[in-house]
Amino acid sequence: MGNAAADRLVSHSPVLDAASEAGVHPAGAVNPHLNSQFNLGRRFRLRVGLTWLSLLGILGFAFAHMGMDFSLIRQKLPFLLGLSLSPDGFIQGAALTLFITFWAMLFCCLIGVLTALGRMSANPVAFALATFYASFFRGTPLLVQVLLIYLALPQVGVELGALSSGIIALSLNYGAYLAETIRGGVLSVPPGQREAARALGMPRWVIGWKVVAPQALRIIVPPAGSLFVSMLKDSSLVSLMGLWELNFLAQSYGRSTYRYMEMLSTAAAIYWTMSIVFELLQVRLERRFGKAYASD
Amino acid sequence: MNARLTVLAALALSLGASLAVAGSTLDRVQKTGVLTNVLVNDYPPFGFIDSSNHLAGFDVDVANAVAKRLGVKLKLETPGWETIVGGKWQGRWDLCICSMTPSTERAKVLDFAAAYYSSPAVLIVNKDDKAIRSIKDISGKKIGVGTGSSYEAYLNKTLQIPGAKPITYSFTNVQPVPSDETVAFQNLALGSGVRLDGVVSDLATARARIKETGKFKIVGTLYREPNWVAVDKGDDAWKAKVAATIAALRADGTLAKISKKWLGEDITKENF
Repeated sequence: MGNAAADRLVSHSPVLDAASEAGVHPAGAVNPHLNSQFNLGRRFRLRVGLTWLSLLGILGFAFAHMGMDFSLIRQKLPFLLGLSLSPDGFIQGAALTLFITFWAMLFCCLIGVLTALGRMSANPVAFALATFYASFFRGTPLLVQVLLIYLALPQVGVELGALSSGIIALSLNYGAYLAETIRGGVLSVPPGQREAARALGMPRWVIGWKVVAPQALRIIVPPAGSLFVSMLKDSSLVSLMGLWELNFLAQSYGRSTYRYMEMLSTAAAIYWTMSIVFELLQVRLERRFGKAYASD
Repeated sequence: MNARLTVLAALALSLGASLAVAGSTLDRVQKTGVLTNVLVNDYPPFGFIDSSNHLAGFDVDVANAVAKRLGVKLKLETPGWETIVGGKWQGRWDLCICSMTPSTERAKVLDFAAAYYSSPAVLIVNKDDKAIRSIKDISGKKIGVGTGSSYEAYLNKTLQIPGAKPITYSFTNVQPVPSDETVAFQNLALGSGVRLDGVVSDLATARARIKETGKFKIVGTLYREPNWVAVDKGDDAWKAKVAATIAALRADGTLAKISKKWLGEDITKENF
């Protein structure tokens, strides 16, 4: 029964495979048994690549004809990317954006796992804590949460710096969403898998780590990747507290030079590039967890 | 679940949480030797980030002069305007040399120590506009203002500047359109009446914008707008110290010099 379920889980559809490989990744794992399928995959990827390039070309053409001041963009780009430190000696621009997102992702994963465990727990207090937390942080705007943590907590004696407030707000907010994603992934693993493992006498943590987690992660990675791309961009909300991250600098330069569109478009391009890197990482992770199945 | 709470608390602490330091601003500035001034980072020529990526402008120079006279180091921070004007700084910041106009509302949460410059509010329209020649002509028109600004209060006829003459309003039924001021000017640049008919803002910043973009013109001066140095509520010794420092900088000509450097004229004379 367990095997049947596993077979169902690892069964492949060529069309879906080609689609997932074609995403943006150049070298794909290809089924060596079928030559025609190989050609199909290659042709598909080629066409996807060409379509991407044409669309990018159209976008670039449109921007090139908006009468933008490109010398200003060249002048400000190193600062926006964060290649130098801010006047008070801290990282800035895209580097700070990535720094905030990295720590928020880390804490978010931790919070997400704990909350998902609480949400699936038989203990009523754990269940209540997890559902209350997830409900509050999914049900209120991130902007409000940032301001509450930065402005309201000091009123009760907890004074956090701008950077910590930003990372905590992002972690708490996205942790609530990630918890549901994780729970969905865990629930998608058929109960037979756990039963079979238990029948083999595996200890609980081995079942969780070696049986459930790899199967669940295959389901968790795509929506979690989406969440982290979204978090990358929502990190711009912390500019409200005066952190010199990408959005802050773009707004500030744009207003001070009266060249708003130039700076906003540049920031958009940088955010997009960073998102693409995230997406590529996601594709790799997806392939990894997909492969583990195929070779078993 | 206690373990989870402990983990969260430990995370918070490791991220640099510290308990609010009670005590007066003056003590803190003297003890640490650092003066933390907040200002606006996108308000040229008063505060902006210059081409070498440093904060610069009239407010920055005044803050530097104040720190120098107090014999302390200056630290600049640029939080969102709404976090500054809300008060309750909790010891995060000591001073706001940030082009703030006092109002009775703001005076409830902040103390105003000293006036340091005055720049009138003006009405700005698209350069091709022919219908609006003075403030009387804005009746029934859509006028953009910065959200939460004193100009918004002016259009709503609720602006009271403590210590100043009551303001007279010579328009009726204006539609104030509060938004981001930069967005308001972008809208006005699209043409008269497309999205906005005019914007109410400050003379010095409007002049800088017109010089740079050439898309607008000023059609009327509305009222005198004193800008004060603000401090958090409740430290009278600090407030007096700041007031004395500003008075000294005015007396020795420092303020006038800074004003001429950034605006080409002296807008820091007393008698606002």
